[in-house]
Amino acid sequence: MGLSSVEFTSKVMLRHDAGQLRERARELRSLMNLKPYIEFARKAFAREAVYRVEVLTKIGSLILRVYVLRSLWTALYARNAAPLNLPLHSMITYVTVAMLMSLILSVDGTWLLREKIREGTIETDLIKPISIPLYLFSDGFGQALLQAVLVIPSLLCALLLVHIDIPNGATFVIFMLSFTVGYCVNFLLNLLMNSVAFWTLDSTVAQMIVRWASELLSGAIIPLTFFPGIVGRVVTALPFAAIYSTPLLIYVGVIPASQWALAIAVQCIWLVLFAVLASMVWSAASRKIVIQGG
Amino acid sequence: MIGARLRTRGRTCNPAHISNLPAIIDTRDLRKVFRSLKRRTGPLGALSTLFSHEREERVAVGGVTMSLESGELVGYIGPNGAGKSTTIKMLTGILVPTSGELRVAGLVPWQQRQANARNIGVVFGQRSQLYWDLPLIESFDLLRAIYGIPQAQYRRNLNELVELLQMEDLLRTPVRQLSLGQRMRGDFAAAMMHNPSIVFLDEPTIGLDVVAKEAVREFIARINAQRGTTILLTTHDLADVERLCRRIVLIDHGQIIYDGSIDRLRDEYGRTRTLVVRFAAPVVDPQLDGADLASMESSTARFSFDRSREHAGLLVRQASERYSVEDISFEEPELGAIIRRIYVEGYATS
Repeated sequence: MGLSSVEFTSKVMLRHDAGQLRERARELRSLMNLKPYIEFARKAFAREAVYRVEVLTKIGSLILRVYVLRSLWTALYARNAAPLNLPLHSMITYVTVAMLMSLILSVDGTWLLREKIREGTIETDLIKPISIPLYLFSDGFGQALLQAVLVIPSLLCALLLVHIDIPNGATFVIFMLSFTVGYCVNFLLNLLMNSVAFWTLDSTVAQMIVRWASELLSGAIIPLTFFPGIVGRVVTALPFAAIYSTPLLIYVGVIPASQWALAIAVQCIWLVLFAVLASMVWSAASRKIVIQGG
Repeated sequence: MIGARLRTRGRTCNPAHISNLPAIIDTRDLRKVFRSLKRRTGPLGALSTLFSHEREERVAVGGVTMSLESGELVGYIGPNGAGKSTTIKMLTGILVPTSGELRVAGLVPWQQRQANARNIGVVFGQRSQLYWDLPLIESFDLLRAIYGIPQAQYRRNLNELVELLQMEDLLRTPVRQLSLGQRMRGDFAAAMMHNPSIVFLDEPTIGLDVVAKEAVREFIARINAQRGTTILLTTHDLADVERLCRRIVLIDHGQIIYDGSIDRLRDEYGRTRTLVVRFAAPVVDPQLDGADLASMESSTARFSFDRSREHAGLLVRQASERYSVEDISFEEPELGAIIRRIYVEGYATS
């Protein structure tokens, strides 16, 4: 059910904008008080930690996939498919680190939003003095933290099967920085996708399309440097590259120290663009809210 | 036209306008129109809906003007789809009004949603604001963080609410394992934890058994009396209203059709009282001057009369003089019947 924008008289509209600005200012001030959001993250962490079997299954399947990918790439490289400037050990490092990253990046805290809109439970959040996007971020962050704890045993098990290059200190710090920016871009992308539900009341299809696109185009499965010519340049320019590709290419050294600043700047541009877009979508969405069932 | 006249009637009766106290809730010509794509039916209905740009409008709230004085407990009554919940959603900042003005404790809810949220408490009978997976106490703890409630105040409120709502045994239970009545008590506590000055109750007794209903009513009355909390209550159970509210606002088709005291409504609308007479011996076609025989069953007759014209005492004397009477009683018009009549006939007569 698509709902057209609610029409305002121009008078109401003007007052609305002024009020919106004041509200924004107040929101910014209330952001200083992070206590509720820290609490949301803690609760999400505790909630996810309950599912122990799922945790073990996750590590198991990850190890299996790492092993399969190692065999695959080893076979491909043996057939002399070795591309460009990525030697086999870098390739295996790339896919293993990508796997570990996906533990954290596959967490989607904004998925809750879709449920809340569809079932109308979003009204119980709107009656509280909290920012809903920030609430979703903290909830997702709490879940991601639990996944981050899992990275350590997963890494240790993976090391039994494959060899991973360990980068020098500076590279690792920049990788972590780039990964953090990528995490935020990923959050905003998910948020935008799930916000579609404000208009369509369901966003499953949009979600699936973006998920497919982002798996292929973010460099989570194969490095974007493998895409030839113009295609390669296009996919590198897409926002998806900011999620997996940039941090991973920094890790394996394809992006040299001289280009770190540029690479992270490009990520930050996407971050800012998505943040602006998300805030526009949210201010439009608040006028569109239709509560289901009542 | 009738609506306009009635609104002024309602307002003269509203204490806020007599005593010049600032209204804590104030709405002026508040409207909410939902516009949606027109859905088509038929074999290719879904497909043509996809390409159609035909829209239909539904006026949920069509110009509501009302004000509540601080400390009032007002019943907001109307049939399903009359616009009650939509009004509450605008007052709580969930929905943005299409036009009109509103102020809740001086704030415009949809512009200052978060600030407004600190002043208000909300209970939705059909929806819980508690965290489903968490034990009740952890939901409360989360609310403490959300509202930044100081530890001392939190302790005091928690103890008071737990005692008042008898929840000691429930605190460690995950919300999803609570019964509806238990969950409702939890929701009431959650809504009160940050000492809101205004509370919106949207059908809080829906689906509760008699005992739980009474406990909820008791709680609402106490909160209103002891804390001076302003309460706007929507309900379908008129027993809630009769027990709790002096003032009611009736809404139908998005318009306010009555705003005033329950007593006045009864006076104006419930003029017809019923005199029930049980005869000692069978009587054929009993007659009383000034009253109409409404029904006759075995030896019990029901007479209806206009209480503004006939004196009840005289009718009793008349009956006992004419017939051999075993028992006499009066039936007051039921509030539900009065309100049903207003919805059917409109508030025009009297």
